[in-house]
Amino acid sequence: MAKHVAIILVTVLLGGLLGATLIRFAPGYGVDEQELDARLSAGSIEALRRASAPDENLFLFYGHYLKRMVHGDLGTSRTLQRPIAQLLRERLPDTMKSVGLGALLGWALGLALAIPVAMSRAWLVDALASVMAGILLCIPVAVLALLFVLTRAPARLVIALIVFPKVFRYARNLLVRSAALPHVLTARAKGLSHAGVFVWHVLPLAGAQLLALAGVSVSLAFGASIPVEVVCDLPGIGQLAWKAALGRDLYLLINLTMMVAVVTLAANSASDLLGGAFGRSEA
Amino acid sequence: MSKRWFASLFVMVLTLGSATAQSGTELRFCLWSEPKTFNPLLVQDDSSETVRYLTGGVLVRLNRQTQQLEPELATAWKTSRDGRTITFALRQNVKFSDGTAFSAEDVAHTIQQMMDPNLHSPTGDSFRSGEGKVETKVLWADKIAILFPAPIAGLDKLFDQVAIMSAKSPKKERAVLGPYYVAEYKAGSHLNLERNPNYWKHDSSGHQLPYIDSVRLDIQQNRDIEILRLLRGEIHLVNSLNAEYFDKVIAEKPALVHDAGPSMDSEQIWFNQVASAPLPAYKKAWFGSTNFRRAISESINREDLSRVVFRGHARPATGPVSPGNQFWFNTRLQPHPFDQKAAMKRLEQDGFRVQNGALRDKDGNAVEFSVVTNAGNRYRERMATMIQQDLAGIGIKLHVVTLDFPSLIERIARTFNYEACLLGAVNIGLDPSEQMNIWLSSAENHQWNPGQKAPETAWEAEIDRLMRAQASELNEKKRKEYFDRVQEIAWEQEPFIYLVNRNALSAISTSVQNAHPVVLRPQVFWNIDRLSLGSEVAQK
Repeated sequence: MAKHVAIILVTVLLGGLLGATLIRFAPGYGVDEQELDARLSAGSIEALRRASAPDENLFLFYGHYLKRMVHGDLGTSRTLQRPIAQLLRERLPDTMKSVGLGALLGWALGLALAIPVAMSRAWLVDALASVMAGILLCIPVAVLALLFVLTRAPARLVIALIVFPKVFRYARNLLVRSAALPHVLTARAKGLSHAGVFVWHVLPLAGAQLLALAGVSVSLAFGASIPVEVVCDLPGIGQLAWKAALGRDLYLLINLTMMVAVVTLAANSASDLLGGAFGRSEA
Repeated sequence: MSKRWFASLFVMVLTLGSATAQSGTELRFCLWSEPKTFNPLLVQDDSSETVRYLTGGVLVRLNRQTQQLEPELATAWKTSRDGRTITFALRQNVKFSDGTAFSAEDVAHTIQQMMDPNLHSPTGDSFRSGEGKVETKVLWADKIAILFPAPIAGLDKLFDQVAIMSAKSPKKERAVLGPYYVAEYKAGSHLNLERNPNYWKHDSSGHQLPYIDSVRLDIQQNRDIEILRLLRGEIHLVNSLNAEYFDKVIAEKPALVHDAGPSMDSEQIWFNQVASAPLPAYKKAWFGSTNFRRAISESINREDLSRVVFRGHARPATGPVSPGNQFWFNTRLQPHPFDQKAAMKRLEQDGFRVQNGALRDKDGNAVEFSVVTNAGNRYRERMATMIQQDLAGIGIKLHVVTLDFPSLIERIARTFNYEACLLGAVNIGLDPSEQMNIWLSSAENHQWNPGQKAPETAWEAEIDRLMRAQASELNEKKRKEYFDRVQEIAWEQEPFIYLVNRNALSAISTSVQNAHPVVLRPQVFWNIDRLSLGSEVAQK
């Protein structure tokens, strides 16, 4: 557990530094589009430039940023001119709702199709689900989101359709392989029901790997939330990240990078720990 | 008896019904981004400007239809002969939205805040005429004089942008004098504006304005969704449409769209003439040549740009002032004609010649250059492609480079590492004084060669002189003469090659009454307090 926490901490800190470096050296950093406002006097343009100019070296900046963060000050967004803590408080619930709902539905649909395929060799379900998963894998997230907008479907479901094909394909292959093992076939030959075989013989074998996939699917859902929120105009973290990147909003981007890193690493670590516990209890 | 009773009951039900229909009316439309500020003095972005227009009370308002100033919180005003002092007589018995009384103290407070040099208010910067402090003298509770250190031409019109803030209200900038106040703001989602219960304006029949009870502004960055919502009847209006969406709406609901004619906005191309720019000397020589710039201008088919790129919803541009600006447009000027033969003659005067289909300068350098524009703007990308084809007609190779906005600004305003740039200009005000920071050679927004210590060309020196002269002249006729000459020099020298003036396109639900779209911003809701909603109310 302590090892996982240490890894998360180091990765988040390095991720934040890497994010800061990329933004700081990106073309257009430290430039404000308000500079083109013809109403502004030379003094105001100069003040704008001073305000957005990088005034210290990157490592010093990052050190100061971390010091302030420890005291609860996440800084102010340059593009939105609001405290970042407030922006995150307002937008995080929306994204968590989208990501949570999307991941849950994606898993439910993926497992609901993968289990019958593996246990009862339902070839028609297998063929249909595989085709559906294949199509969904081929469609870019933004296009899928746009289709939902045009059809007035709930945009949050897009994330479910991004998670579903990966869960289905992985779970299907894993369960089919587990179901084909000799001891499972023996149990089946002895007349154990499908449900019994699944619960007592297949799931224990596949459980740890499925839990590992759960961690990955959180990152997947988070990644998908950016185009979905941008295309569907959902006021969440994904939309904020997009705006921050376009506006070279250094503070906002560092905070978002670190936050997303914490969530995804925590999800992966949780699935690792649970998977490990699952494996040990089986042994 | 019973008949009369039933008749009375019937009338009462009808009255109640109509009252219910009228009460709770809500106008809905979209903002394309989140407002960055609710402080009216710090407004720069469009969304904050919309909120300021809907909530702010001003001393005088420029009627967007007649383009004339009208009294609002000031019943009368007078500018002194020297142009340094303006005196306002204020409306009495006016209250802010929170009930705080309005007086000359509030005007003084607003002006002092606005002119604070540390605030860097864009609104305040328009009033900076010279070194020295702006003073306010409260003469009575309803009379105030504002003294500027130097004359400001068109001074009264600048007050159209100054929303008066309360000096005493604990709600600070949230206490307003305009038709609405901000009742709710959900970040990233929407704003709800409620009718200001203390709004001073009444219609001719004594009914307190505004007619519509509330305005819901949904924050909608995706324009496709905005148009879909308009077509579905979920929002009432789109204040500014582009040509593509205009045609889309017209195909489905032609009654909704309005083309008010050429707007104040223009699209232009300019060459980098900065002496220190990291460009080869021979290219600097091309870009600095009037003949070269004029030849490029004459090689671009503006009619085609208007017809093809803007689907007929644009006009070939003449200069810095759109024909939509009724007073200041120089009617003697015409857009440069598309004439590649004339262009070649001009180029030959500078020693250019065509060899094997490619234009070469007198030293044999092939004429090719790049034009940068902002990525994601389909119209500019299409215009650049068409210009590329036009210039190929005289043997010039043009490379189109699209950059995201911060990278583009870095190049055109900081590193000057570009050859030509295609961008648009948004003119909010009508008065030429608002273009001082573009035309003065020392200004930072003198895009082709900003921040000159002394004018580097004779014609720029002449423009400097004329712009300063018009800014300190109070006689409108003389000012017009000066600025007409500036427009002529800009036409002759073409530091900016003006391409087109986009039309002011908008869409309004047929349920919105009293809407008269105009070319000035805000095109549709400029008379927000007079708008009303009919039976066809937008549904969520």
